[in-house]
Amino acid sequence: MSIQLRLAARYLAGRKLRTTLTTLAIVLGVMVIFGLNGILPGMIQSIQQVMLASVGQVDLSITSASSGTFEPSVAQAVARVEGVRAVSPALRRTIALPRDSGLDASALVVVGIDPVTAPHVRPYPLAAGRMLRPSDESGMRTAAMMSRELADKLGLRLGERFKLPSASGTTVLELVGMLDTPALPGSEEVIVSLPMAQRMFDVGDRISEIDAGFVSGADREAVQRAVRRAIGPDYIVGAVQTESPLSAGFEAASFIMNTIGVFALAMGGFIILNTFRTIVSERRHDIGMLRAVGASRRTILGMFLLESLMQGLLGTGLGLLAGYGLAIVANNALGRMVEQIINLPPTDVRFTPSTWVTAIILGVGVTVLAALVPARAAARITPLEALRPAIGDVYEAAATKRGWAGLALVAVAVAGLLSGNTGLAGLSVVLLLAGLALGSSVAVRPLSDFFSRAIELVYRSEGGVARANLQRNPGRAAATASAVMISIALIVALVGTITSTIEGFGVYAEKSTGTDYLILPQNLLLGGGTVGAGPELRARVQDTPGIGDVATLRFANTVLNGTAVQVVGIDPKEYGRIAGFEYSKGSSEADLTRLERDGTVLANGVFTAQYGSGRGDTLRLPTPSGEKRFRVVGVGNDYINAKIPTLYVSQAALERWWGVTTDVLILADARPGSDKAAALRELTKTVAEFPSFALYDTASWRKVQADLYAQMESIYYVLALILAIPSLLALLNTLTIGVLARTREIGMLRAVGGTRKQIKRIVLSESLLLAALGLSAGLIAGVWLGYVMILAVEGLGLAMPYRFPGVGIALAVAVGLSFAALAALIPARQAAKLDVIRALRYE
Amino acid sequence: MSVRHAILGLLAHEPRHGYDLHGAFEALVGGRGVWPVNPAQIYTTLSRLEEAGLVVKSMTRRVGGPDQNVFELTEAGREELDRWYESGAPSMHQRDEVFLKITLAVADDRARPERVISRQRATLYRDLHELTTRRSQLDTEAPLAHKLLLDKAIMHIEADLRWLEMTEARLHEMSRQPVPEREKPRRGRPRVTSIDKRPGEEGGDDT
Amino acid sequence: MTIAETRGLTKIYGAGETRVVALDHVDLAIEPGEFVAVMGPSGCGKSTLLNLMGGLDTPTEGSVVLDGRDIAAMSDDELTSVRRKRIGFVFQFFNLIPVLTAAENASLPLVLDGVPPKEALGRAEEMLAKVGLTHRSGSRPDQLSGGQQQRVAVARALITDPALVLADEPTGNLDSRSSEEIAGLLRQVSGEWGRAILMVTHDPRIAAHADRIVFMRDGRIVDDTRIANSDSARDAMERAGLL
Repeated sequence: MSIQLRLAARYLAGRKLRTTLTTLAIVLGVMVIFGLNGILPGMIQSIQQVMLASVGQVDLSITSASSGTFEPSVAQAVARVEGVRAVSPALRRTIALPRDSGLDASALVVVGIDPVTAPHVRPYPLAAGRMLRPSDESGMRTAAMMSRELADKLGLRLGERFKLPSASGTTVLELVGMLDTPALPGSEEVIVSLPMAQRMFDVGDRISEIDAGFVSGADREAVQRAVRRAIGPDYIVGAVQTESPLSAGFEAASFIMNTIGVFALAMGGFIILNTFRTIVSERRHDIGMLRAVGASRRTILGMFLLESLMQGLLGTGLGLLAGYGLAIVANNALGRMVEQIINLPPTDVRFTPSTWVTAIILGVGVTVLAALVPARAAARITPLEALRPAIGDVYEAAATKRGWAGLALVAVAVAGLLSGNTGLAGLSVVLLLAGLALGSSVAVRPLSDFFSRAIELVYRSEGGVARANLQRNPGRAAATASAVMISIALIVALVGTITSTIEGFGVYAEKSTGTDYLILPQNLLLGGGTVGAGPELRARVQDTPGIGDVATLRFANTVLNGTAVQVVGIDPKEYGRIAGFEYSKGSSEADLTRLERDGTVLANGVFTAQYGSGRGDTLRLPTPSGEKRFRVVGVGNDYINAKIPTLYVSQAALERWWGVTTDVLILADARPGSDKAAALRELTKTVAEFPSFALYDTASWRKVQADLYAQMESIYYVLALILAIPSLLALLNTLTIGVLARTREIGMLRAVGGTRKQIKRIVLSESLLLAALGLSAGLIAGVWLGYVMILAVEGLGLAMPYRFPGVGIALAVAVGLSFAALAALIPARQAAKLDVIRALRYE
Repeated sequence: MSVRHAILGLLAHEPRHGYDLHGAFEALVGGRGVWPVNPAQIYTTLSRLEEAGLVVKSMTRRVGGPDQNVFELTEAGREELDRWYESGAPSMHQRDEVFLKITLAVADDRARPERVISRQRATLYRDLHELTTRRSQLDTEAPLAHKLLLDKAIMHIEADLRWLEMTEARLHEMSRQPVPEREKPRRGRPRVTSIDKRPGEEGGDDT
Repeated sequence: MTIAETRGLTKIYGAGETRVVALDHVDLAIEPGEFVAVMGPSGCGKSTLLNLMGGLDTPTEGSVVLDGRDIAAMSDDELTSVRRKRIGFVFQFFNLIPVLTAAENASLPLVLDGVPPKEALGRAEEMLAKVGLTHRSGSRPDQLSGGQQQRVAVARALITDPALVLADEPTGNLDSRSSEEIAGLLRQVSGEWGRAILMVTHDPRIAAHADRIVFMRDGRIVDDTRIANSDSARDAMERAGLL
């Protein structure tokens, strides 16, 4: 109804400061949810785009389900399927370019094609030079093609030679042809002949992709089904497999962002609750009159809900805008970091429909939901209210029933925490927060009595007045304290968890990488895509003077229950000598030796947590050579792979089933008694010949890791700060409301001789009291939440030392109190500036 | 009597004949409806004033009409008028009929003081209704004098109504006290002046 | 013929020790065009009577018949509808919505009744002109004097053409000059426009504008006097001691 709309709009516009504060509360939450989610889909899509770009122009593309290489004989099976006109095998590998490669790119995709069959399934429009020839396979001529765009970017001309890292060190290629195809960011392809590529990556005659063309007019769906039948479930037909581990990581990140956004919005909800309660009590007369002149309860309810809806839409709208801005800023900042780590081209900020829907529904929904209780109270106001004289800000009865409900929730939460079940413990945090929020209206009186004693030590008379003011409206105080509580709890928990995690991983790093030297690709992308080194690097390292034991790690992928699992190949004997695992309960060193038997795997903690399989279970894993049963013989973690679901197999098994023979990580120890400095110098020389690899000694490796964690830590601190802002808004909102509601009393205080300074102190004291209430609940909840988070990490199989979050508590107390002082600044000045005569007449 | 002095006051402005004086008086108070005085009363008063030597009569000739008596103020009349201006006008409210009705009714079993009050209130409200009607009918052009006169009347009625209200609230108290009788001679000081007198006892006339 | 009538109207607040009989079997009939003032000391039940007659509250016992229908037994929704269509309210504190203009405030009952806003506004302008506020229809309440605000409230009360206008101390918050003006306006509303008015007041001067005064005490009507069309003003002057 238009009158409700008109009223809602006018009322909103009529109280600008409060509307602004309330709007900000929503903006913040929506901004976080919308903005951060705007970055991830862009990245995920960019990955998919890169993947799909290669299949874009073919009728059908076949890859291994385990995203590894496979026998070329599969191509013949595909060719025999009716409707398939032509097939062409290919090998596709992403290589990270070393920083000193002289090429202006951080990574390239090397594609090996069969020059004879490839043009039948995919067009190669030449812009200059020539197509690859079968004679290029001879090995004498190392010819390559690429798009003109890429060539321009790399600064290459026809006939020019360039170096790429390969399994045997480096390979020199000559640019013989330039193609007229667009180079998609992130999928800059260097096309070489298939045998050349196979040599470069040391995969024998294995391939990673089969492209097929259909007979014209064929039923594409039918042909695709037939191909799938012909080659079995180990292959993916039609689409290229997206990099699941990466997507899963992004999904987890998105979940965390959403959780933070929801918390921010929950705090916003408390602010909205306070605002609307005040609005309703201020407008009792108006409501009574409307009821008297014929507005129904529904009309009143509708009016307030509409007002909250408009408030929500306003806040959400601005939040979306702010989120867009945040996304762009964060994308630029993160993008550079991400590009370094996983070679992803700079992506655009992109908002999926679900991001829009989530942000809008949450933003508007929380607002309307928070306004629902006050709106219903408004609808219950009788028309007789219109006839009563205005009553001031009088004592509001504390809702005892709600207090008991809160207490009950807290009790259930304690039970949940003590149950020992990680899931229940997680739930207990939500229950605890809800219980504390509900019960806080009852606790306001005793707690503020308690804290005001401290304040009265400094401001003897003002503290008492502030306490009385606060206790008059326990509901409002409770909602404010609840918002502060959530902020404080998150800060304590976040900081606490970071401290514990960093310490925990430090211990892992110590144990797992207890080797003297570590050689790994400059851009390490675990779980796939990284180019390994052939046996040469390992042999050279082994031969380096002063080097003792050497062990290598090889990587492959498999799929379990539809999600990707990393398979790491180790030599149990040499790995046990040099590095070893951090074994989980029930496993021991002995399990490592069992790995020598075929058909056995060792799982890491994340894997057992995610798939629920433990020691003694049997897994059926798809491999490029068909499905294979593996028995889990033990559970243990190494530092590098601790965050990714990983299965360890022997290198022999990895070769047999996955066809992987390249080393990705090489661990080496100095020979006892040798000159370590000299050994390092020698080793540096050796590794220099493999430009895509980097060498670290124990100290430098730890430093790199420490830097990484420091970076992460700072991100978390920024997050914690963002989460503290709503509590500032909540305090500011409540104090502003309080000053406005008590204008007359302030006038009276000034009239009977209260100084401006005293008035300011009263407001400041009230702010400090509110913050103290929020702090006391927030610290409890924060310690609790932090403990549960550590429990959750332990649930993943990582032993985490629990550290009482002393730093977090100190930080939270500092943030809480300084925000209280900050929030009191403006309202205190407002109150002190009030003109006495006008204040006394204020209604 | 105020009509007497009103005539002196009107003659002080200018000499007038009897008929003219009547019209001037009505104009002064705001019309016949507000404070009616009949011409005979004017003439009677004039002759008394003349007898007292406060005014003198003289004959004037009017063009195209009969000759008329015109009255003029004498020196004695002027002095009397001055004395009138100088003296305060006595308040008449002690001589109150309603007071008598109520106090007597309290002691009279056949009469009901509540009824007396109710009747009186109805009467006062009717009057107030009339006066407010008249007052609200006076437009902004009307002489201020007329408005002030009506306001005076309205205010008196408001005061009477308040007194009635107060009396009504204390009727019960009053009925428990004897009707004030003539004092027995020479037996102490009159009760009404005692320090602990209660407001309810003020119903009596202490002039 | 009566337009509004109460029969044995009783209202009891609280129970036990705190039990208060605010209204004790009150019978009152109001005729169309009649201007009735209700007077009495505070706590006599005059406001309760007004609230019950306006359907703002429900009686403990007895009935309120408005337009021939007993509103005492109605549900909240029915009462709301009656208030909207058949009753006009004028409050002591004007009770205008601060964010709406005079015309919008006056049009509220119509808008709540589903009349298109444009039409409602047009009718509100007309009504404001009738109550003497032609040029202030676009002003917000805080830009109007108390007297002007109460005129807007009167316009709002009259806009639905109600059977009964209820005024609760309509001059309680006004200076004497504005009080007289509003009282005169209400008299016009009943006398010229034929609307029945029930007004609660404690100011005799304002009550004197009514046709009839009902005196209440302890929840009962103790006196019910018709004061219009009485003797001449001369009697009044005489009794006031001016003659």
